[in-house]
Amino acid sequence: MKSSATPRRQQGAALKTPRKAAAKPLADKPSQRGARSQQTRFSSRLRAWGRHHRSMAWDSFQRLVRYPLGNLLTMLAIAIALVLPAALWLTLDSARLLDAELDESATLTVYLELSTDAAQAQRIEEAVNAEQSVLETRLISAEQGMAEFQQSLGLDNALAGLESNPLPISIVVHPSSIEPVAMQQLAATLEAFSGVDEVRLDLAWVERLRNLAELGRRVALALGALFGLGVLLVVGNTIRLSVESRRREIEVVMLIGATHAFVRRPFLYSGAWYGVGGGLLALGLLGLGNHWLSLPVAALAASYGASFSLPQLDVTGSTILLSCSTLLGWLGAWLAVTRHLSSIRPK
Amino acid sequence: MIAFEHVGKRYGGRFEALAHLNFRVARGEMVFLTGHSGAGKSSLLRLVMRLEKPSRGRVVVAGHDIAQLHASQVPFYRRQIGVVFQDHQLLFDRSIFHNVSLPLEIQGVEPREAARRVRAALDKVGLLHREKALPIELSGGEQQRVGIARAVVNKPALLLADEPTGNLDPQLSADIMALFEDFNRIGTTVMIASHDLALIAQLRHRILRLSDGRLVADEGAA
Repeated sequence: MKSSATPRRQQGAALKTPRKAAAKPLADKPSQRGARSQQTRFSSRLRAWGRHHRSMAWDSFQRLVRYPLGNLLTMLAIAIALVLPAALWLTLDSARLLDAELDESATLTVYLELSTDAAQAQRIEEAVNAEQSVLETRLISAEQGMAEFQQSLGLDNALAGLESNPLPISIVVHPSSIEPVAMQQLAATLEAFSGVDEVRLDLAWVERLRNLAELGRRVALALGALFGLGVLLVVGNTIRLSVESRRREIEVVMLIGATHAFVRRPFLYSGAWYGVGGGLLALGLLGLGNHWLSLPVAALAASYGASFSLPQLDVTGSTILLSCSTLLGWLGAWLAVTRHLSSIRPK
Repeated sequence: MIAFEHVGKRYGGRFEALAHLNFRVARGEMVFLTGHSGAGKSSLLRLVMRLEKPSRGRVVVAGHDIAQLHASQVPFYRRQIGVVFQDHQLLFDRSIFHNVSLPLEIQGVEPREAARRVRAALDKVGLLHREKALPIELSGGEQQRVGIARAVVNKPALLLADEPTGNLDPQLSADIMALFEDFNRIGTTVMIASHDLALIAQLRHRILRLSDGRLVADEGAA
């Protein structure tokens, strides 16, 4: 038997309070405990703490299972609140709007007049390359342009029916500086070259796309925050009711010396379980939605001669979603219990 | 063990529940607290349990002014006091065994050790054979004995009881009092609020008599 084996010693141990000035021994037995038994006492307290955590986790899980329908509804509410922002995020991700690659494509495209032939184009490219603020250039023939266009749209057959290639020869220019002002100057210079039809500044497009992505991201985050708050409220309210229904029990255990942490623990686990359940249901709903939409989406894409598949949450995404919902459940429970405990006083 | 020094307690600024209380209870003593209902017996016990703080004066338990205890220390203070309530305060969704083991659970006593001590306490109050029963299946006297077992299971140095025989017939009441005397005999300080004057007169212990929140008699002090 360890430290608390004999009644005598247990009494000594029970008379010890954790704060240094807090020992209020009712039995004034000056205890001469050495560092070693201090340590065993600490480790036995740690074990007791772990034991209580385990038993409360299990106990609150059983309480959850005992009323499956009501608890399932709570979890479903959590799941729905999580699915909406998650789905929006996935959509943005699939539209590649969240890609950092956008930053690298700050280029100018110089479109040559349609009548320009390959040799002339070569000469113009050399002239462009000679400009000081040009880093490098790439000549794109009309055929290459068409091929890239088809590829980027994923439309393999739609353009095949065209009689002649409507695309001009173009030169992609990487400027040495991607400062908007410098790029604008360079564009003006290049536009004055003979044989150049138009200079397209991709910067504006990039900028626009980036703003759009930022907008989408912020909307998703705002929705996430709002619905996260919703989860807090749902869990908080459920826990508040369960605190109320166990009020007598709480009063009794506080009368016989339970700390707030002890009283709070089962409710925190309940909250966390709600979060876990809600998160799992959300993953299920996302999967279900994906499955449900995939057929029409695939058919739609196929009718354009393209292939496109709906995005799915990967392992990392699922883990993040699940941890977020668990944390939210725990936090909601913490807020509800802490707010409520102060109003419960043993009679 | 317990010292009241000029203690007064007011509720709501006007009603004076206790006034000018001065007395001491020595370690290992057994004391009855008596007086008509509303005389302040329960208020006095609530002060010792640190459910309330005195409005005036000091309540000193084991050499410490318990009003000075920080809120976070109060649970640890309460663990050292066994309390028997008139209405038992048992949890009706748990077995007798689990009710009695509650204080040990709160203190984190290792389960096997806890079970041993719960059985010892139940044996002491003569209810070992009912450990699996629910409180509702027990009679009033038996429920009170479960309450006593819970109060003593962690071997407190101080045992408080508020009308422990309130709803019991004379024979059961005498049994309960005999139990308290047993605990007192092994060194526990016992303080019992009761208005069962006939019964406490037989027992020949010190009696503190309260009237309108004042101490009007201190009889049979050792």
